[in-house]
Amino acid sequence: MAADRRGLGWLLASLALQNLGRRRARSFLLIAAVAVASGVVFTGATLMRSIDRSMEIGFTRMGADMMVAPEGALTNITAALLTVEPTDLVLDADLFAKAGIASVRRAAPQKIARVEHSGIGSHHESADLIGFDPALDFTIRPWLVEKLNRDLQPGDVILGAGRDAPLGSQLLIFGKPHIVYGRLGRTGVGTHERGVFMTFQTFDGLAAAMGGHAGHGGNGSLAVLQPGKVSGFLVELAPGAPPLQARFAILSSLKGIKVVTGDTTMSGIRQGLAALLDGILALTVLMFASMALMVSVLFSAIVTERRAELGLLKSIGARRSQIVGMMVIEAVIATGVGGALGVVLGFLAMRLYERSLVYYLENMGVPFAWLATPQVVAFALGAIALSSIIGALGALTPAWRASRRDPYDLVRGES
Amino acid sequence: MLTCIGLRKDYVTERGAVAAVAGIDLEVAAGRFAAIIGRSGSGKSSLMAMIGGLSRPSAGQVTVDGTDIWGLSENDLAAFRNRRIGYVFQFASLLPTLRLVDNVALPALLGRSRDGTDAYGRAAELLAQMGLGDHLDAYPSEVSAGEQRRAVIARALINDPAMILADEPTSDLDEQTEIEIMDELLAVNRERGTTLVLVTHNLALAEQAEQIVHIAGGGIVA
Repeated sequence: MAADRRGLGWLLASLALQNLGRRRARSFLLIAAVAVASGVVFTGATLMRSIDRSMEIGFTRMGADMMVAPEGALTNITAALLTVEPTDLVLDADLFAKAGIASVRRAAPQKIARVEHSGIGSHHESADLIGFDPALDFTIRPWLVEKLNRDLQPGDVILGAGRDAPLGSQLLIFGKPHIVYGRLGRTGVGTHERGVFMTFQTFDGLAAAMGGHAGHGGNGSLAVLQPGKVSGFLVELAPGAPPLQARFAILSSLKGIKVVTGDTTMSGIRQGLAALLDGILALTVLMFASMALMVSVLFSAIVTERRAELGLLKSIGARRSQIVGMMVIEAVIATGVGGALGVVLGFLAMRLYERSLVYYLENMGVPFAWLATPQVVAFALGAIALSSIIGALGALTPAWRASRRDPYDLVRGES
Repeated sequence: MLTCIGLRKDYVTERGAVAAVAGIDLEVAAGRFAAIIGRSGSGKSSLMAMIGGLSRPSAGQVTVDGTDIWGLSENDLAAFRNRRIGYVFQFASLLPTLRLVDNVALPALLGRSRDGTDAYGRAAELLAQMGLGDHLDAYPSEVSAGEQRRAVIARALINDPAMILADEPTSDLDEQTEIEIMDELLAVNRERGTTLVLVTHNLALAEQAEQIVHIAGGGIVA
């Protein structure tokens, strides 16, 4: 006579599950639709972060879109704008901050001093000491090929590829000890390869020593040692900003400057990809909004179909929270399965991306950096969780409305 | 004791409000067997739904053992339906995807009146009393209509209610099964002292009741 004992949660969950099984075609369509949305979200999020990361370490390696230097400064034409050029002219450090030019995404100020007898290299060798703001920099640190396992600190220096010293070793500059924090990769840009890079704070700490050792052919007066002055700015344009218009905007907003334009092809690609990322984000939001609406409409129909069952449950004492809970469990099961399926589809889609977009980028010399596995797993779990949450929210309103009805109306099937 | 005072139920239709129950006063003493009879559409099922806490009256009051049931909060009304009333509907009201024993144990689990072991033990006991001891694991579709109805009676008894409300419980059954089901209900009324309110249009069944309430046009005529 004994029968297996089952808990209330199990019974309500099995009612939800069996209802899904009763209408297989509808359940399949619901799961498929959620799978598509979840797959787009998972793939979109993973690709967006991967592309974003790749752009950080890839496109930024191609240098700035533009360089803004003091008017009258001599500048070399280089393949990539990675550092400003030594000059005896200077600009105010807060030039861009005050101007607020919309077409400029960020402007990284740099100070450069070409000095001799600094203690770097051979006795008469000149060295370019370059100060930068780590918060705004986008042309130096992307080139780090090795570094200490900590953040850049005052007193640290980063060496260009043309200089050699072990990481963590002490480097005396004008007799002052500095720690070799990192080394940059080869760029083919002379100043960048010969440079010794440091924060503004470290640079300013050497100002007194640098004053008497200005090198030939460089910034002889070392006006750049004055507080609040910089040698120039490396500029990244805002996504979608046409380089020509941005150039005119900068020239009309800032006085006493010249604008050196980099490779406009790369600027175009960078901006295009940034716009693509925005597009993917918008698509993702739209997908989830439409999914929530679809689940809500579908569960309105499911509630209508199951009025008698819900009425019966209320008649025998089910509380409103139990009715809502049962419907929400059903939605969570369906959308959770759909979400998981979408993640699997997303993995397959990313294999296709790998063979198309990634191949294209790598052909352009832009390394594509996939996210680390823990992050991908986090995105996968996030997509499944988000699908389930959207499912629960979509089912909540129709379930809540049904739970408010009198049991007798539900049993009689009244709408 | 069941007391109804000025009980009224209006339904809004395209042609205006229609009174299904038009101001009924009624008393049924605890432990009695009362039959509500009337033709189809007379309002007897609407009356029973209001008595059982299933349909909110448009006006009036229902009191069970001194409790104004329509003055209860939503959760308290759910608890009232769960603990104090046992329903036997005129349709097959078992959940088709649950076994008979799950269906019978469900009200006890919903109301947390018993723990799982106790609920299933009691469900098995009640099903055995109804002659369904060999069908605990059967699904509703695997047993006859009469057996289903007996399982519904078992479910109605799981929380030892004060009152059984049976709305034409035998209308779709053959004559022999109808007699068996009525015997079960009468046994519950007589042996347990549970108040039984039966809605029917079968005068032969109604004649077994201690109190007959004749409804027509939404009001009591006798």
